[in-house]
Amino acid sequence: MTANLTENMAKKISIENLDFFYGETKALKAIDLPLYSNQVTAFIGPSGCGKSTLLRVLNRMYDLYPKQRAEGKVLLDGENILDAKVDINLLRSRVGMVFQKPTPFPMSIYENIAFGIRLYEKLSKSELDMRVEDALKGAALWGEVKDKLGTSGLSLSGGQQQRLCIARTVAIQPEVILLDEPASALDPISTAKIEELIDELKQKYTIAIVTHNMQQAARVSQYTAFMYLGQLIEYDATPRIFTSPQQKQTQDYITGRFG
Amino acid sequence: MANYAIDVPNQSPSAPASRAEALRRFRFGDQLFRRTTKASALLVLLIMVGIIISLIVGAWPALHTFGLGFIFSASWNPVTEQFGALASIYGTIITSAFAMLLAVPVGLGIAIFLTEICPYWLRRPVGIAIELLAGIPSIIYGIWGLFVFVPFVQTTVQPAIIALFAPIPLLNQLFAGPAYGIGLMTAAFILAIMVLPFITAISRDVFLTVPTVLKEAAFGIGCTRWEVVRSVVIPYTRVGLIGGIMLGLGRALGETMAVTFVIGNAARISPSLLAPGTTISATIANEFSEAFGATYLSSLIALGLILFVITFIVLAMSRLLLMRIESTRAK
Amino acid sequence: MIAKTTRRRTVSSLVMGLCIAATLFGLGWLFLILGTLLIKGVQGLSFAVFTQMTPAPGNQGGLLNAIIGSLTMTLFGVLIGTPVGMMAGIYMAEYGRGSRLVSTVRFVNDILLSAPSIIIGLFVYQLYVAEVHHFSGVAGIIALAIMVVPVVVRTTEDMLLLVPSAMTEAASAMGLPRSVVITRIGLRAAKAGLITGVLLAIARVSGETAPLLFTALNNQFWSWNLNGPVASLPIVIFQFALSPYKDWQQLAWTGALLITTTVLVLSITARILGAQRTGK
Repeated sequence: MTANLTENMAKKISIENLDFFYGETKALKAIDLPLYSNQVTAFIGPSGCGKSTLLRVLNRMYDLYPKQRAEGKVLLDGENILDAKVDINLLRSRVGMVFQKPTPFPMSIYENIAFGIRLYEKLSKSELDMRVEDALKGAALWGEVKDKLGTSGLSLSGGQQQRLCIARTVAIQPEVILLDEPASALDPISTAKIEELIDELKQKYTIAIVTHNMQQAARVSQYTAFMYLGQLIEYDATPRIFTSPQQKQTQDYITGRFG
Repeated sequence: MANYAIDVPNQSPSAPASRAEALRRFRFGDQLFRRTTKASALLVLLIMVGIIISLIVGAWPALHTFGLGFIFSASWNPVTEQFGALASIYGTIITSAFAMLLAVPVGLGIAIFLTEICPYWLRRPVGIAIELLAGIPSIIYGIWGLFVFVPFVQTTVQPAIIALFAPIPLLNQLFAGPAYGIGLMTAAFILAIMVLPFITAISRDVFLTVPTVLKEAAFGIGCTRWEVVRSVVIPYTRVGLIGGIMLGLGRALGETMAVTFVIGNAARISPSLLAPGTTISATIANEFSEAFGATYLSSLIALGLILFVITFIVLAMSRLLLMRIESTRAK
Repeated sequence: MIAKTTRRRTVSSLVMGLCIAATLFGLGWLFLILGTLLIKGVQGLSFAVFTQMTPAPGNQGGLLNAIIGSLTMTLFGVLIGTPVGMMAGIYMAEYGRGSRLVSTVRFVNDILLSAPSIIIGLFVYQLYVAEVHHFSGVAGIIALAIMVVPVVVRTTEDMLLLVPSAMTEAASAMGLPRSVVITRIGLRAAKAGLITGVLLAIARVSGETAPLLFTALNNQFWSWNLNGPVASLPIVIFQFALSPYKDWQQLAWTGALLITTTVLVLSITARILGAQRTGK
């Protein structure tokens, strides 16, 4: 059944035989996985299983650190992003990322958004205003901040800060958005808002989310990948993973027997 | 307005292209920026290398003329063009040594006060006040020393000391009159006040690294406050303390203006600590702009080279010790 | 047993008493120095100090040329030294973090930070004055800039390392080029600390005398010409204080008061800024 479903969908990203190393330590082993366009793919697994590491390969975040390297292929629209000649900054502008801890920049709410746009495009003041508004609306934050765009991004609550970070990512019009435990530092109400937002975002973007919260994975994703000790144990449509997993380890994990 | 639709196409085909264009424009600036920062870091090294080379080049004529004798000769005579560094080196070492003799116990005492005894609300103000001592420019210590401290020492302190030690052999040589006011001891005292804040600040910082559990354990078995400091705090922080003391010593060795005012600037070695003397930096400061003749000038630069070598060794040791503390703390 | 305990307590109290005495001793000097400075300096404080040139002995005069000279040389010294120091600090905290080059630069920089300032004076004399054959404000500026660099390097590196890596990661994740991440995000987040560093650097060089002795030298007159000798407050104080003339000595005290006030105000401001940063 899933096979039929997936045949018709475009693979935005295709991970092929990916290995990853922290110095000598192999953190990811032979990962093969697609990310479908306009779908949410969730990565679950116990801490240290490599799910965040995998996410950080997809926008080559690991490049910031000298001793980390990836081998294999990650195709974004058919182009291998692990290739040495890939423009990393361009890649990152296409594959945005939101982190566990909200990280507003030390500037006003408006500037937090406008900052990235201005870098890539020359816009008039009114066009820029429009784009900032769009981004904030896209992150369901506009209503709460429209009267205080000039105040510091740090003055917002944790949940608002996280949505500001999402808005900031959306503002530069990426194609893929990576979410690294985006709600784990937030209260339940803010978490619900973020989950709602993820559902809307998938209309326009391909989304990958790492979460330690299995209910969250079940609620927001269409596909789920279960990882353990740097290996991809099982990947399937989310309902199947949670109702009839094929692997014993997956079953043990989602029923809470370990992890 | 409320229904404003987000009509940005999902993947506008032009977006990545224009973005790549924008990023390409940045690439040059990015590289330039990186190179500039690296060049600036290298410039720091270059300054150090430049100092060493320029001092050696400048000192060469004098070192060539006088050889090793430059270090071991105490005669400093611009008229006959006979130059030896010994009197200056002697003054530098004596003043710094006595300054440390006073500043180390007092500095440690203040650090102990600040970390062990002082009520919390008072810690910051007292700490800042002591650090302000370090902020006062050295020329202020000089003018204050010359006009306020020296007359006081001359009329009150020194006569008493001279009288006190007069009957004791040897010591009466060490503290022989007359009471000039200015001299090695006065300079040492002023230096002590100047390096006090450095020693205090570093000792306080390293004292604060002692884990509270260690101290509590010692208090728990009935140690008195002093016993805790002596057998837990000081042994635990020993390396850092030595580093801090060396840093203070480095400062004292190279201090110029304050010493120049109060040391008397006499290039001779006298047995009495109360007699006028000179230090390397004071000699340079006093004579450089009036030095005539290549040998004279070169001799002064050679003095600078000696001072630089001494302070470099002391400061390098201090850094290595303090780095050891930092790396253990990071673990 | 009890006697021994009592003795231990007494020893402890005695030592703690000595520590308190040491603190009073240290604070005593601060107040004594500042007190005399205030009393002696204020006596000579007048309008003329700020409007007239340094006089010949026995004449009326002020410190105008010295004040202007000090301000100019400090200003240019800081303007040149700060960017160099910041750039070097950026390299150490960002591009070269953890590398051997960086630990070498840090080690050398820390030594420069505490090296005798008179050595810097000798260096600039050899490097510049001896080459152009005359003392000049430019030489003074070079010397002061060299004094500024290590202070700024140190604070820039320390402050940038305090910026949470999550913040720089987030900025990099948007595809921002490294230089933009550093200048627009890193430096911005570290702003208060960087200002503290620059203020401390200004405080440090504005009272410096030794490096100016054989670089900028002195000038009895007004001079905008930085290619010739330029007067500065510390050098004027040095010269006037050691002179036998009462009115020169008075001017020296007044100059000393001006410098000390400036330096202390700068360092206290720097500390307050620094405390606000750590308070957050």
